[in-house]
Amino acid sequence: MISIDRRSFQNFDWMLLSLASIVLAMGFATLYSAASPGAATALPSEFKRQLVALGVGGVAFAVALVVDYRRLERWGPAVYVLSLLLLASTLALAPITRGNRSWLVYGSLSFQPAEIAKLGLVIMLARHFASRGPLELRRIRDLIPAGLITALPVVIIILQRDLGVAVLTLLVAASFLPFARIPLRAWMGLSLVGVAAGAAVWRFGLRDYQRSRILDFIDPSRDPLSSGYQAIQSKIAIGSGGIFGKGYLEGTQTQLQFLPTQHSDFIFAVVGEEWGFLGCTLLLGCYLALLLWGLVVASNSKDTFGTLLAVGLVGMLFWPAAINVAMVLGLAPVIGVPLPLVSYGGSHLLASLIALGLLMNVSMRRYVF
Amino acid sequence: MQSSLGGSEPRLEGRLRLAGGFVLLVFAIFGLRLFQLQVVEGDELRRRSEENSIRTLRLQAPRGEILDREGRVLATTRPAWELQVVPSALDQPERTWAVLGELVAEEPTVLSARLDGAGGVRHRPVSIVDDLDFDSLSRVETHRHALPGVVTDVQPRRHYLEGSLAAHLLGTIGEVRPAQLAQERFGDYAPGDVVGQTGLESLLESHLRGSDGGRNVVVDVAGRVVEVLDEVQPVPGGRAVLTLDLDLQRAAEAAFEPAEGQDPPMGALVALDVHSGDVLALVSRPAYDPNRFVGGIDAESWKALTEDEWKPLQNRAIQTHYPPGSTHKAIVGLALLEAGTVTPETTAYCPGFFRHGRRTYRCWKRSGHGTVDLHDALKESCDVYFYTYGVQLGIDRIAEFARSFGLGRPTGMALPGEAPGLVPTSDWKARRFGEPWYPGETVSASIGQGYNLYTTAQLAVSYAALGNGGKVMKPRLLIRLESHDGELLEQRSPELLSRIQGSPENLQRVLSGLTAVVEEQGGTGGRARVPGLRVAGKTGTAQVVRLTTVEGLEDEEIPIRFRDHAWFGALAPAEAPRIVVAAFVEHGLHGSSAAAPIARAVLAVWHEKQGGGTGQVAGAKP
Repeated sequence: MISIDRRSFQNFDWMLLSLASIVLAMGFATLYSAASPGAATALPSEFKRQLVALGVGGVAFAVALVVDYRRLERWGPAVYVLSLLLLASTLALAPITRGNRSWLVYGSLSFQPAEIAKLGLVIMLARHFASRGPLELRRIRDLIPAGLITALPVVIIILQRDLGVAVLTLLVAASFLPFARIPLRAWMGLSLVGVAAGAAVWRFGLRDYQRSRILDFIDPSRDPLSSGYQAIQSKIAIGSGGIFGKGYLEGTQTQLQFLPTQHSDFIFAVVGEEWGFLGCTLLLGCYLALLLWGLVVASNSKDTFGTLLAVGLVGMLFWPAAINVAMVLGLAPVIGVPLPLVSYGGSHLLASLIALGLLMNVSMRRYVF
Repeated sequence: MQSSLGGSEPRLEGRLRLAGGFVLLVFAIFGLRLFQLQVVEGDELRRRSEENSIRTLRLQAPRGEILDREGRVLATTRPAWELQVVPSALDQPERTWAVLGELVAEEPTVLSARLDGAGGVRHRPVSIVDDLDFDSLSRVETHRHALPGVVTDVQPRRHYLEGSLAAHLLGTIGEVRPAQLAQERFGDYAPGDVVGQTGLESLLESHLRGSDGGRNVVVDVAGRVVEVLDEVQPVPGGRAVLTLDLDLQRAAEAAFEPAEGQDPPMGALVALDVHSGDVLALVSRPAYDPNRFVGGIDAESWKALTEDEWKPLQNRAIQTHYPPGSTHKAIVGLALLEAGTVTPETTAYCPGFFRHGRRTYRCWKRSGHGTVDLHDALKESCDVYFYTYGVQLGIDRIAEFARSFGLGRPTGMALPGEAPGLVPTSDWKARRFGEPWYPGETVSASIGQGYNLYTTAQLAVSYAALGNGGKVMKPRLLIRLESHDGELLEQRSPELLSRIQGSPENLQRVLSGLTAVVEEQGGTGGRARVPGLRVAGKTGTAQVVRLTTVEGLEDEEIPIRFRDHAWFGALAPAEAPRIVVAAFVEHGLHGSSAAAPIARAVLAVWHEKQGGGTGQVAGAKP
């Protein structure tokens, strides 16, 4: 069942592990600062909870690492269905919090099954495209099965009234599209028309309150005013860090709690304030290297399933990171998307660590055949 | 990127490069943006961060209006000036407090204590005086340039135009409590938010609340706004149109005002439209002024209200149940007819007492009523008649009938804390006390003494069913909900809960007995008469303590808490009832003298509103 031969370990991907560790370490250091305003003596509770999540995630990471990923190709449907069931259970069990019902709560523990559902979807899609052979897909209509596989979890997530996560899940699924043989021209044409139509409807077809309702639906915790405030304060926080930053635990914006969600969605602003341009560049550099290395892993994999799995996993990390950083930098509207491996939140830390484990799994078995 | 070492197809390889390029591009944009913010604009943004000059000011949504059925305003929102202090901008606290104290005529230490008690973030304005009168406001405005950190702002403030009128129905507002914040339904509330705490204010919270807006502003060092960055307008709360009729409500409230030199009566009144169940008036006394709760009630008044022996905060119309006394006879009378225990011709002889087993039960009239049938027994409220046949019918049949009138369960008008009342059965007694039901207890139960407990609202609903042909209606409080600009959001229809078993003939017989109570010589309810309007009604006097405790005392000598409760249930016009009034006076002694005149006051105004003076309707039937 668990097949670790020596060769796999010889090929252990130290690069991936080191990059992920740097990102995680910076994340935890920043979380400590963001969650302990003023001169708190005790460990902030968010920090402790995140440590617990790291412990659980570490175990999951190890499991994701040792079980040969090719088994996942066979188990794909089972994993997918299980993750769907878990996801669907929120509809019956989860209380409505902040306008949506996407969290399973047990005592003081809460868990967001959508994160795990994304993993299940990535595995299932990788398996699907690998079995068909991505190059067989020449026409848009060849994508219908993949579309259905994606639609199931997305619809459940929409029913949870968590459209932000639904959009994110769609983007992750869309990461597979460039690997179909459907000509790039067709895609570009299609997306151009789609974007233009969407923008036109948004701009001319909707009234203010309708736009506002859509945004509220995408992000139920959105409050336009506090979004505006957060966006302003976020820019100030980052900019005031300058080149070298104000120093660890010295960020005034942070310590005075100008940012309401500074330990979750806006944690990158804390990095910017306390560690400046240099710190941000380091963090984003490591992130970039991690993502590119993930694509290298995809490229190096011997089998198509491994390649596509790695691509999906990179997508899982890339999209929320890109949206989050763009939001914090004032390049995108404020929607509640966390920065994977850095933001506070156990569910996505767990999911991110499993994704990393699988990525390394693919990486270290590149010679094993 | 390295070239393919493994087996990925060249085509996939190309796409992977493309993906890598895309990721690189995105991060390059981030890098440039970071350079722009941190290196190019870094100094400017650092300066801004040091000033902390951006604030979010909340624009509180005005709470929705509550109107009566004719659109007359009962609760509204008026602008109130608030004196605020921004702690971080306060450079000479001592001097500022001294000057402010002078301007608003309060102790400086009291003012500064409000700031200390507020906590929170230092750059947010803290309210010091929440409803400045005009003179104080002008004084503060004149001197404000010399008082850095002091700002004034206009805030919407709840205002109940009629003071304590319908206070229990309208309810109160107050700051959301920490225990509430922990609940799901208060998920989007923040500490300090105002929330309906009781009555309709609580029931309609989500409708009345509206949604707050706000304004992101740049302020100078003195806390004054120098630039508005963006603004979201608040959406005012929606309007609620009640079934209440302000004229009837006023009449009812006035009827509860004490006569010269007397204690204010305590009690309740519920007036309903018999067909729709519309609540036309709802009174609970003693009352309080809900305006005192706006902006937080002071500790002293709160203590006085909660520790008052007579519990003014309680809504006596629905939250408290009492033994119904003889008002119950109307229900029992119908039950006797329906069950066939009596016919209209069946009589009983009342010598002034009734023997059952070894006990003797008195009629309220010591000398006795002589031979009476149901009509007489209702009219003169003869106890012996009901003792005699009630025992024959049995407690469980009586209870079954009473329950079909909606008695013994909340009326369902959705106000919180409604008391269920109690309709005893032999099963109930076995469960509750582990004892069998004694036939002697049926004797008392037949005249509404013993275990039976009803709220005033329940009495109104059950009497409405007598008057409307047997429909048990859910009391309707709301006609409709509208948005703040008048768009209809929700219409509430009358709701039929159930029907009682009662043939039209038998209902008519009971009703005619009740009409005799008011309109005929010798009836107990003569004081409910309204010129030009035929009224049907029933008095009730519910014993509070054993007769022996107060035996031989004159009414005025009995301590208040030992005095009997007074009831009156009225239907009008008697020929085809349209309105029901249930009046209850706690420790009011006699239904005939204490409760009937109160019901009468409401009926008189109702009659007047229908266009009747001493109209012809009455003339037709002398």
